[in-house]
Amino acid sequence: MRPLTLGRLLLRCSFLAVILFVVVVIALKLGAVQVSLYGLGRDLIRVLLGQSSAISSDYGMIVVDIRLPRILLAIVVGASLSVAGAGFQALLRNPLADPYVLGVSSGAAVGSILALMLENQLALSPEFAGLITPLGAFLGAAITISGVYLLGRREGQMDSNTLLLGGVITMSFLQAIITFLMSTLAGGNLRGASFWLMGSLSTLPPKSLLYLVGIGFVVAAGAIYTTASDLNLLLAGEREAMHLGVDVPRVRIVVYVAASILTAFAVSVSGSIGYVGLLVPHAMRLLFGSDHRMLLPTSAFGGAIAVVIADTIARTVVAPSEISVGAVTALVGAPFFIYLLRRRLS
Amino acid sequence: MLVSSSISAARAAALFLVCLSSLRAQASSPATPPQPVTREVVDEVGRRVRIPVTISRIVSLAPSLTETLYTLGVQDRLVGDTVYCDYPPDAQKKVKVGGAIDPNLEQIAALHPDLVLLTKTLNRLDTVRALDRLGIPSYATDPHTVDQIISSTQKLATVLNVPDAGKSVADDMQRQLAVLNEKLGPLPPKRVLFIVWTEPLISVGKNTFIADALRKAGATSIVDSGQDWPQVSLEEVVHLQPDYLVFASSHSGAADNDFEALANRAGWRILDAVRDRRYAVISDAVNRPAPRIVSAIEDLARQLHPDAFPPALPRERRPAGSTEPLHPEQNPVTMRSMRLPGSTEFSCAR
Repeated sequence: MRPLTLGRLLLRCSFLAVILFVVVVIALKLGAVQVSLYGLGRDLIRVLLGQSSAISSDYGMIVVDIRLPRILLAIVVGASLSVAGAGFQALLRNPLADPYVLGVSSGAAVGSILALMLENQLALSPEFAGLITPLGAFLGAAITISGVYLLGRREGQMDSNTLLLGGVITMSFLQAIITFLMSTLAGGNLRGASFWLMGSLSTLPPKSLLYLVGIGFVVAAGAIYTTASDLNLLLAGEREAMHLGVDVPRVRIVVYVAASILTAFAVSVSGSIGYVGLLVPHAMRLLFGSDHRMLLPTSAFGGAIAVVIADTIARTVVAPSEISVGAVTALVGAPFFIYLLRRRLS
Repeated sequence: MLVSSSISAARAAALFLVCLSSLRAQASSPATPPQPVTREVVDEVGRRVRIPVTISRIVSLAPSLTETLYTLGVQDRLVGDTVYCDYPPDAQKKVKVGGAIDPNLEQIAALHPDLVLLTKTLNRLDTVRALDRLGIPSYATDPHTVDQIISSTQKLATVLNVPDAGKSVADDMQRQLAVLNEKLGPLPPKRVLFIVWTEPLISVGKNTFIADALRKAGATSIVDSGQDWPQVSLEEVVHLQPDYLVFASSHSGAADNDFEALANRAGWRILDAVRDRRYAVISDAVNRPAPRIVSAIEDLARQLHPDAFPPALPRERRPAGSTEPLHPEQNPVTMRSMRLPGSTEFSCAR
């Protein structure tokens, strides 16, 4: 393995950034409403120059107020899920670990369903009411991940296998609760719930929530990145890492909490978009190696690219209707992963 | 050293994201053109909404609302509807904005509607909020009984500045229901199982407008559930032994197949209604809280209480060679597919 240099890191990140930019421009162009590339370029330049008022009212609202926020959301969600996946895989030293195996998404789904039920009981101001479901999802995810963490402790230590098993069991249990809630309570109120189970970026989230998730990503991903070198050593084994001077318990807590926050934020705005957290880090590992100092930033870009592409497919392939973005990530993700795996083997 | 500089690279990337989003924030406050005159109305879920005084471009996000617009004669103002809006057939030609649960916001925005119509039991609150954020006025209806369907239609007509059409449609619906009530009043209601879905078996709860429509048709649902769409067990149905099974279908053939499928299924033969082939098929208009529901109610009443409708109406096809013109009311199939309640028939002139 060639040593990692800042130059190579920046080169690869800028390479991925260029791909992301191209994907974003294509995603901005495609949609139920046709927008010309020229008009799009002109409007984007106006946005960047702060001359939003000059944007033609025809497409300005669609591109700037509907498509762009949705794409930004896809970027943040994709990056969050991938970084969280990379973090969990390193922490648990298990290639199958991903944000959802630990039951986080099911916890978020239960939280959002309970919030939807609560929302119907309470008379809330419209500004606050829009935040109830994401808040419920976040709390559900946070409580679940804490519970799984307690399940995964053995003799005061965190045990990877116990943790994974605890996560799987918790997930099944919560799925049963979801089925129970969905089939016993008035169905009409829970139409939104199915969105949480399948994953969707179609609902325009409040602006405040977008900022919150963006800031959450920067903070939590930054926290995981500070442990990147330690995670490299942790791959050799916990005892070995400890002998090499890694503060293993601290790394565990930092990565576990930060990755959980990333997942909880992502799920609270998009529901359960599966496969991204599992596949993207593996793809990036196959492409760029398993050094976490490289893996974490490239996973962020890779996840962003993957979810933007998946969401663009989700909203264009049967336009004006949409399919679930989670279905797209599964449909496209699995074959792509097999391709990468085969290429690596040959 | 290396780590810290790559962190700053990551920060720069994050900063780029934040910049993009803050630009977007500036972009969302464009200089607004001179506002058209607006007024405030309260919709049926209690929201105060500002809507333009003259509404010339409407997007409907529910089949029932689309039907109501046609009945009110304002179909020319309807610029977009959902993929489920299939009645009247002309509604299928309107620009589609996706489904009722997941409408495409881009497509709605591109149509520049003055007003988007929703109904609480079908559409999602998230859609309303997203429209609010985009500054697109929306109005939601929420009828739970047949009477509320009438008042809701009338209120919508007022919002759309066609109160006369609303009154005429409402009067017509009420008149038809009064005639029915007179005929059915003294008769004991038939106990029915309304079948929404066969696999699993789903019926309607007592608080739905469908249950109310059954009552108006001289029937009563054997399912007494507070849930709107309860899943019912066969045991329970056998225990309650309904007089009739009621199917709703847009084309009667499909419902007949539904009945045959049920009749051949293990266990269902225990039902007297299945053994004696006592079932009624009515238009799927009964599933939609729109003016056409009255015709479905009348249709069901005729099938459940044929004796209440003298002179005896021929339920089978007219003999070939008859030259008598076919009156819509005399043929349930024609009535289901063609007839609208009230004098406000579709016309392109309005």
